[in-house]
Amino acid sequence: MRIEFLEAGVTYEGRAALHPLTLTLTGRRIGIIGLNGSGKTTFARLINGLTKPTTGKVRVNGRDTLDDQAAVTADAGYVFQSPQNQIILPILKDDIELGLKARGVAKADLAARVEGTLARLGIAHLAERRAHELSGGELQLAALGAVLATRPSLVILDEPTNQLDLKNRRRVAETIDALDEDVIAISHDLATLSSFERVLHFHEGRLVGDGPAASVIAQYEAMNR
Amino acid sequence: MQSLYVEGNTVLHRLPAGLKLGSLIAFSIAVFVSGSLAFLGALLVLAASLYFALPMRPRQAFARLVPIGAAILLVGGFNLIFSPWQVAAVSVLRLSALMFLAAAITAATPVPAFIDTVTRFAMPLERAGLLRAADIGLAVGLVIRFVPDILQRYHAIHDAHRARGIRFRPSGAIVPLIILTLRDADSIADAIDARGIRGGQEKRKTK
Repeated sequence: MRIEFLEAGVTYEGRAALHPLTLTLTGRRIGIIGLNGSGKTTFARLINGLTKPTTGKVRVNGRDTLDDQAAVTADAGYVFQSPQNQIILPILKDDIELGLKARGVAKADLAARVEGTLARLGIAHLAERRAHELSGGELQLAALGAVLATRPSLVILDEPTNQLDLKNRRRVAETIDALDEDVIAISHDLATLSSFERVLHFHEGRLVGDGPAASVIAQYEAMNR
Repeated sequence: MQSLYVEGNTVLHRLPAGLKLGSLIAFSIAVFVSGSLAFLGALLVLAASLYFALPMRPRQAFARLVPIGAAILLVGGFNLIFSPWQVAAVSVLRLSALMFLAAAITAATPVPAFIDTVTRFAMPLERAGLLRAADIGLAVGLVIRFVPDILQRYHAIHDAHRARGIRFRPSGAIVPLIILTLRDADSIADAIDARGIRGGQEKRKTK
């Protein structure tokens, strides 16, 4: 994975949600921390192409998010903060198939792709279940499954453990840890990010910390004591 | 994230979605072509029989029809004020028959089957360069999918009023309901974009 921010910034109605920044992200596990409204989600949405930069450019594996959004979206899966808004169809299997059909996966391959993805996450038994019947942890894994099924090389997770109890938080954190794909995770759960190789710290729309997890998390905690 | 689909294995469940939607179109034409009370009454009985034959508890079956049923009665009431009773009866029978058949087909057809069928029906329009068939299928599927969510939100607003000791008036729920629905629509649109559901063919990854 190689993500390049080239003086990329976002301004909403005259207010800078993210001040222009230039940096390159490589590596398998990158964490993002910061207070609410600090620009974390804007930064992550720029990578998937969900938010367009109002200045500068963002490139994912060499592709510009403005010029080649479909390819960027296919390469960089995005799991939202509220999984209930990510799952579009009520039955889990149908929802995952919807994403696969849109990517032109052959009808004959759909069942195997769904089954394989859910088995990988340990939730194969939920395939025929309705999303509203699932627990918070199961729903989060289901949303992750819907993204993984399309085989992105990078998964962006926006506060994946935010709404979960301790048991489900651990379960989701372990699943994320075991993913083969590269991961960029926004989280307030600092323990989850402590094993990440690089952490970015945002504050009031600016990148104020970038480095190994331990030092950036320590800086974040010191700033918000 | 409720669903209007009801699990089951009735004749209606087993029929192809295309045939069901085609029948609904033919049925709609029939009820609006005819003004005969007897004929419309017979169609209403037929549609209601199909609906109540579905594996739902009577309370659940009636609850689904309350919003549209109330609207039909309102239309009937206005007709009764301004027109002869026969006109009011015809409009109530027409709309009620359609309501029962549409509700029965919705309850007996999974959303993906609707999406696939509507997409197939819309293909000639895509070939004519007028639109993208998959968008039409997805739009219809999303409407069916989100009806229960909107009702759920209405009940949540009702509960929030009660919890705060505020008298609930249905008209007062309209603005928060619209705001909540639009906000969720934004989230769903984001999810559709992020997941590449509107046309992100896998082959593009190899560009």
